Amino acid sequence: MGQQDVDRFERIILPHLDDAYTLARYLLRDEHDAQDAVQDAVLRALRYFEGYRDGDARAWLLAIVRNCCLTWQRRHSADRFNISFSDDSAVDVSDARPADAAAIEASDRAAVNRAVAALPTEFREVIVLREIDGLSYKEISDIVGAPIGTVMSRLARARKRLAAAFGLGAQEAS
Amino acid sequence: MRCSDCRDVLNAYVDDEMMPSEMQEIREHLATCADCEREHRLLAETSLLLRDKLVRHSAPDVLKARIRNALAQPNAFDPPREVKPQRTWMRLAAASVLVAIVSSAVTFAAARQGTPSRSIADDVLASHIRSLMPGHLTDVASTNQHNVKPWFNGRIGLSPPVPSLDSAAFRLIGGRLDYIDGRSVAAVVYARRDHMINVYAWPTTSRTEETRSETTDRGYHLVHWRNDGIEYWAVSDLNRPELDQFVAAFTSATTASR
Repeated sequence: MGQQDVDRFERIILPHLDDAYTLARYLLRDEHDAQDAVQDAVLRALRYFEGYRDGDARAWLLAIVRNCCLTWQRRHSADRFNISFSDDSAVDVSDARPADAAAIEASDRAAVNRAVAALPTEFREVIVLREIDGLSYKEISDIVGAPIGTVMSRLARARKRLAAAFGLGAQEAS
Repeated sequence: MRCSDCRDVLNAYVDDEMMPSEMQEIREHLATCADCEREHRLLAETSLLLRDKLVRHSAPDVLKARIRNALAQPNAFDPPREVKPQRTWMRLAAASVLVAIVSSAVTFAAARQGTPSRSIADDVLASHIRSLMPGHLTDVASTNQHNVKPWFNGRIGLSPPVPSLDSAAFRLIGGRLDYIDGRSVAAVVYARRDHMINVYAWPTTSRTEETRSETTDRGYHLVHWRNDGIEYWAVSDLNRPELDQFVAAFTSATTASR
């Protein structure tokens, strides 16, 4: 790889750094870990860049970021046992008293972001890839390495939990 | 269409991930089934709320600086290696190895140029690189000089000048304490685009004014000068003309404020 390749890499890959960092922030829920994971992912991307064929560069980079984050999380889970990655935390949120719909309308960003942060990783990643990055089911399926049907059912279950956590549909159900 | 069939694919309908003919079937069912239509509205609302309220982060400048720095390394293309778990002590060990490598390079560079304070240049460059590691850049993060300057009071025997250089297009990022040449020093951090500039300051007893020396190593530029009883070092990967411009803006602002 020569300087030309580095220039091409910088032109094609680096514009997606914000999306890469956003995904890492949601997956690792820590800004310093996210920085380390993204730096690692970008260097890996550079080394694999010769294998990159024209396609969606963003989805390609996000797949690498996602893998780096999961590796990061696995290696650190031993000393991070205070953070629960199980479904329990999400249950807490959906069991919580539904927030007032008006309060949510009044831009309660914090509550929405807390509810997403409390989702198990496999739900959180599909929500971020779909709702923030706007990727197709096929792209998400490639990134998380699961069949499209699985992506669909994770999205469905994640949205169901979030709708309950936001107290949406509560007034209609009564 | 049965309701259970409709529910199974409602997410795909909301996400526009169906064939047009299937979409039409669902649309017709929703028009006649209030329960499914309520479920559909709930899903659409949830999705909209998420799109609207989820935070989209921007990659921090310090991360961009680290990546650019890593891309400039000659070994950036080496085959993928296994990521080692980086516990704190390992990070420190890694940092000291890096520091050792860079230090010796600077030592050679400085020796070639016959610069007197080469061990200080070592320390300054090592500290600059260390500061780019996550969480190391600032102890007090503020773009306001009136927050940064008082922060040093009582922490160090010097209240360093912290001029606002916004008019020269250098953003103040914050300050921290650091350790150079066996003493605690003030480090004030500025940025232009995503290039970080560290300015180190400590009191000097040397009477010589107006000394100025410049060193360059591995894409980092260092400028050393002395002014009004304070020893200054500025270091950055910013290009040389822009760093000179920074030093000029900094010195003129500190001279004017006297």
